[in-house]
Amino acid sequence: MTTDTGNRRRQRLTAYGLLAPSLFGVTVFLAVPVILVIAFSFLRWNLLNAPEFVGLANYVDVFRYEGAGHALWITVLYVLLNIPLQTALALGMAMLMNRTGRFTSVVRVLCVLPYLATPVAMAVVWQWIFDPTNGMVNTLLSAVGVTGPDWLNSNMWALPVVAFANIWQYVGYNMLFFLAGLQAIPAQVYEASSIDGASRFRQFLHVTLPLLRPTLLFVLVTGVIGSFQVFDTVYVMTKGGPGKATTVMNQLIYTSGFQGFRIGAASALSVILFLIILAVTIAQFTYFRKRTVYEMV
Amino acid sequence: MFINRIARRTAYVLLLLVIAAIFVTPYVFAVMAAFKPLGEIQSGHAWDLPKNFTFDNFTTIFGEYHFGDYLLNTAGVTLILAVGQVGFSFMGAYAFARLEFPGREAVFWGYLMMLMVPNVVTMIPLYVMMSKAGAVNTYWALFLPYVFGTPYTVFLMRQYLLSIPGEVIEAARLDGCSELRILTRVVVPMARPIIVTATIIAVIFGWNNFLWPLIATDSNALQTLTVGIANFNSNFAAQWNLVLAGSLVALIPMVVLFVVFQKHIVNSVNVSGASR
Repeated sequence: MTTDTGNRRRQRLTAYGLLAPSLFGVTVFLAVPVILVIAFSFLRWNLLNAPEFVGLANYVDVFRYEGAGHALWITVLYVLLNIPLQTALALGMAMLMNRTGRFTSVVRVLCVLPYLATPVAMAVVWQWIFDPTNGMVNTLLSAVGVTGPDWLNSNMWALPVVAFANIWQYVGYNMLFFLAGLQAIPAQVYEASSIDGASRFRQFLHVTLPLLRPTLLFVLVTGVIGSFQVFDTVYVMTKGGPGKATTVMNQLIYTSGFQGFRIGAASALSVILFLIILAVTIAQFTYFRKRTVYEMV
Repeated sequence: MFINRIARRTAYVLLLLVIAAIFVTPYVFAVMAAFKPLGEIQSGHAWDLPKNFTFDNFTTIFGEYHFGDYLLNTAGVTLILAVGQVGFSFMGAYAFARLEFPGREAVFWGYLMMLMVPNVVTMIPLYVMMSKAGAVNTYWALFLPYVFGTPYTVFLMRQYLLSIPGEVIEAARLDGCSELRILTRVVVPMARPIIVTATIIAVIFGWNNFLWPLIATDSNALQTLTVGIANFNSNFAAQWNLVLAGSLVALIPMVVLFVVFQKHIVNSVNVSGASR
């Protein structure tokens, strides 16, 4: 009895000891900053003067003077350029390459290589590839008689090029999730629907897609959350330009906070972005709870 | 029928070759450009092999600019960050998964809530905290926010540790093994796959991290590769020979990491995907 309680006590102390570092980190570098960012969003403060409490004024001012509405629109546009195409391509590639064989598996692995590529460094490479005079894209276009635009200085093309860089980086990685999902579908399911006389397309629509729904949601939601926070490629490729054509939320937070030192406004922008991302995450959880569970026999 | 099969096979192979080319050519062309003088990049095509092969671009960025410092800073920060993040996260994960203590569920829920906090939200307050603590523009600022472990890694490792058989741990405990010995001698060897996965995640994060190092440092001596490349790129725009060589300094180690741990990276998707 005594050794048992002694054991428990020892286990409890060990547990607190093991937990201490990560609990310290999570508290000081995550929980406290979340509270602070909300508090700062009610202040007018440039780090030098004494902070002044202004209530919700920052939440109005960021839309009036900082261009928050435009940045939100650009961010949503970026997400829409990015996610549907990336998800469809990832699923298509997974279905295409869901087979055995050395050649296929080598190509599959090559598709994942960009996942590790440093986004800042790749942004430089893309800048070169899309350069109006030296770039490979315009060289190839001129070979077929087309004069390519000045991609990254074009109001119309800058955002799609940035989205393209992101799709290139993550499509192979997302393909892996779909491959794992496809391989979890038992062959009998397909056999049964073939016997029932279902065409390939109907099989995809009524068998593959419903069974891939958890994977699809995971890929969509992580992709949307990541895209809402895009910064590295935008900062290097366009700095938010031309004009404000690629000024996404994160770019705006950076310029307001660290170039303008409007801590209150930048904090309010952060809170707005946080709430949007949180809404997307909560939507995921409710959707997951409602989803039909397919029992495999 | 036979002809049809050959045609389909050929179409498949061609399609896969195109896909492979899309993902590989940016690297290949950047490597070739980094060994060309500027004039050759401007006059020739991206797909031409270097005619006047030269190391000058690399000697310039390391000799006349600060790429040596950048590389050392990034390597150092990544190493410290990975060791701390993996070690401390593992300790926390073990406590959550295998030890009984009051408040376990409540603290774990707290971690799960913090899992939902996007990185960008903490940037402004972190900067203010660091500047009040006098830590802005020091090495400390670069790794402190990430070195104590992340909720995601703790969560990932906890899920894995829950799946290892408890009997082994109980047996060791009955044999009078201390809790610390159980952890290092019994649990760590069994958890090797998830430790490798967490290390890869931490290394990729540390190496590629940009926004926080950009905010937290403003001197060449302290800047990381990503920040150095971004600044160098704005100052030397269109000097493609130099900026591409600089980018490769960051990209090549990641390619090596990928080649070495390729199987593990591909498999880790199943781990992280399944645990969500």
